[in-house]
Amino acid sequence: MSSPTSPAPLPPGIGQQLREAAVDWGQNELPNWIYVFKMVLAGLLALGIGYGLNLESPRSALITVFIVMQPQSGMILSKSFYRVIGTLVGSVAIVLLVGLFAQTPELFLLASAAWIGLCTFGSAHNRNFRSYGFVLSGYTVALIGLPAALHPAVTFDAIMNRVTAITLGILCAAVVSALILPQASAPGLIRIIRARFTAFVDLISNTLGGSSDRQQLEAANTRFIGDIIGLEALRSTAIFEDPEVRLRSGRLTRMNSEFMALSTRMHALHQLMNRLHEANTPAAQLVIATISPYFREVQPLLTRDTGEPVMSAVDAADAALKLERYKQELPRRMRATRSAQGTALSDEALLDFDTAAELLYRVIDELHAYTLTYASLVQRHHAREQWDHSYAPKTSAVIAAVAGARAAITLIALSAFWILSGWPSGDVAALNAAAFCAITSASPDPARATRAVTIGVAGAVVLGYLYTFHILPRLDGFWMLAAALAPVLMMAVLMTTKPKLAGYGLGICIFFPFLAVPDNLITFNAAGYLNEAVALMGSLIVTTVSFMLLLPPTTNWTVKHLEKRLRKQVVEACYGKLAHLALQFESGTRDLMHQITMVTSSRPALRQTALGWMFATLEIGHAIIELRTELHGIRSGNPGLLPPAAYQALDGLRQTVPALFEQPGPATLAAALQANDVAIRAIQHAIGPHYRERSERHRLQRSLSYLHFIRTALLDTRSPLHPLRAASDVNSVPRAHGAPHAA
Amino acid sequence: MPREISFFDAYVPTLLLTMLLAGAITLLADRLLVRLGWYELVWHPALFRVSLFACIAAGLGLSIYA
Repeated sequence: MSSPTSPAPLPPGIGQQLREAAVDWGQNELPNWIYVFKMVLAGLLALGIGYGLNLESPRSALITVFIVMQPQSGMILSKSFYRVIGTLVGSVAIVLLVGLFAQTPELFLLASAAWIGLCTFGSAHNRNFRSYGFVLSGYTVALIGLPAALHPAVTFDAIMNRVTAITLGILCAAVVSALILPQASAPGLIRIIRARFTAFVDLISNTLGGSSDRQQLEAANTRFIGDIIGLEALRSTAIFEDPEVRLRSGRLTRMNSEFMALSTRMHALHQLMNRLHEANTPAAQLVIATISPYFREVQPLLTRDTGEPVMSAVDAADAALKLERYKQELPRRMRATRSAQGTALSDEALLDFDTAAELLYRVIDELHAYTLTYASLVQRHHAREQWDHSYAPKTSAVIAAVAGARAAITLIALSAFWILSGWPSGDVAALNAAAFCAITSASPDPARATRAVTIGVAGAVVLGYLYTFHILPRLDGFWMLAAALAPVLMMAVLMTTKPKLAGYGLGICIFFPFLAVPDNLITFNAAGYLNEAVALMGSLIVTTVSFMLLLPPTTNWTVKHLEKRLRKQVVEACYGKLAHLALQFESGTRDLMHQITMVTSSRPALRQTALGWMFATLEIGHAIIELRTELHGIRSGNPGLLPPAAYQALDGLRQTVPALFEQPGPATLAAALQANDVAIRAIQHAIGPHYRERSERHRLQRSLSYLHFIRTALLDTRSPLHPLRAASDVNSVPRAHGAPHAA
Repeated sequence: MPREISFFDAYVPTLLLTMLLAGAITLLADRLLVRLGWYELVWHPALFRVSLFACIAAGLGLSIYA
């Protein structure tokens, strides 16, 4: 930035203001401009090489650059690997389709529609690198397949030509973005990890100090879910880019899993304490008074000696040591407190105390593990790297299938119109609709994206006309062409970096070159241009309409479906294989919630209900998994510990809870509660008043506290289950036999 | 070395295959260099990787054409 040359007439402070403005610009705008220059450079490079290689249609290379660009994340060489593979798979599919159906366009179009639907499904279903492969595969078929089928004699050459162009575009985009001023994702990763650790320490301090209300907690949890998904996405790209991240990849995944477990547990403890606070009986007050001193001891463990909270991984090592000492002492101290207060506490209150103590111990245990992993990030190699449970985010198959079907139907409708009407530009329309379905398949709200792009295309049509017929004839050679294209492309790419203008920008980026950049053999044909432009607009309008009409992802139906899937997680927790179940449950539930968050951005009420279900699912599902693990230990170690009646009662619980979550209603809720009460009494009976070995007693006690926790979660007044219970209370379903532990 | 190889009755330039081979070799070399901590000494890892690929591909290409 230039500084003012004559300082005398300026009012004081203007230099300062200029400097601040420059710094502000450098922080907010400069990265966008670098991105704009890089993308336009990559595009023109691909175009230039394409002309140099005498490709039939070099503009495909230019368009491909804009299709693969991503403003949010730095692009990496290895991402292009999946894209090239997708392109190759797509081209093989074309050869196959043309070979089979070249004589019958109807069948060819049906088969292409099926393929594009399949690719759209794959790209919507996967949310990592594979998604790009699917996008490119569908796009290749759309772009190459139709022209190739119209001239079957030259199919192979045409395919080779186009595939070269697409691959060229992918490689140019990858090389330019990786080599010139690369935007590393590692710093972002470190920032997220650190911010999350700090935020979580804050949350723990607030919750255990008793000063955080439910709204705050919900907001924090929603943010954590976004963080968990974001961290996973960043990790999966950064391992390709940064060798230091690759060495730590296992630990990063592990940290994410540990964090999920920890936040579920933390939430459970918080809910339990909330319920106690609300009960407001003398017994509950006594429990709170007994356990609260322990809570207050946690925050100092996460604070440095100087009084600041723990931030960096180096501090975390210290905190981990403190946590370990605390964890070792905790059970002994808890037992002492319990026996000191034992006489004052009633049965019910004792159960509450035990549950809270168990949860606190687990919170400390998991916090310790999480802190250890965080601290281990400082070293390049570490034993904690051994962690092979990967977490692959997947969008719900049903919703992805709807997206795929939508794309196929759109293409079939347009092709049918093309064949029946004999429309000369019908191939352009069908081709673009198909390509467009493939490109937008991963977008959370494709209808809105398509609408914006359609408007962008209208702009591109006008600009393209001016270019093709007024500017292009005066140009001579590639450099002149590049100079003439650069301003428009730069403007369009800059628009894509602004969230509000992104759709318009994308429309110009992709379709302006399509209309205005000449093939190697230039033809000027104004009537042809207008026909193509009309076909383009028509196909985009049809696509928009079909995205709006055919079950768009933002309808209530989608949210209801996702919510149902969310509740299904509990069924999974009850019947899934125990190995890695907790992890799958945690990540699966959060992933579903993340999907719901994506489609309910404009409807907070729906999101609120879904959030309630997520908490209920997490709490109960998690408790059930722990209970099952505990029972598995008892069964394989010492089956005689529990009488057959207790096993039977637990089996009953295992049947009624999934029934409740599959069909939430007053009857199923009452059944689940009753089964839970029966199980609690059976276990209490099994523990008995007589002497038992400590480890045995502890095991049973733990099982009991899980059951009690399920009970409190079922009775929670804020959960979406509560309205059902209110209804069932009116219907006076008997629940008197739970007398010893009625709240 | 022949400059084109018949691959399912389609002539594929040998250079294309050597490029793929060079990519695989670069990938392996990259893993190895990561283990050795080589990239700590490198200013621009991505540039280094592309250059490594270019060197290997050129070396293999010379073995065909020279």
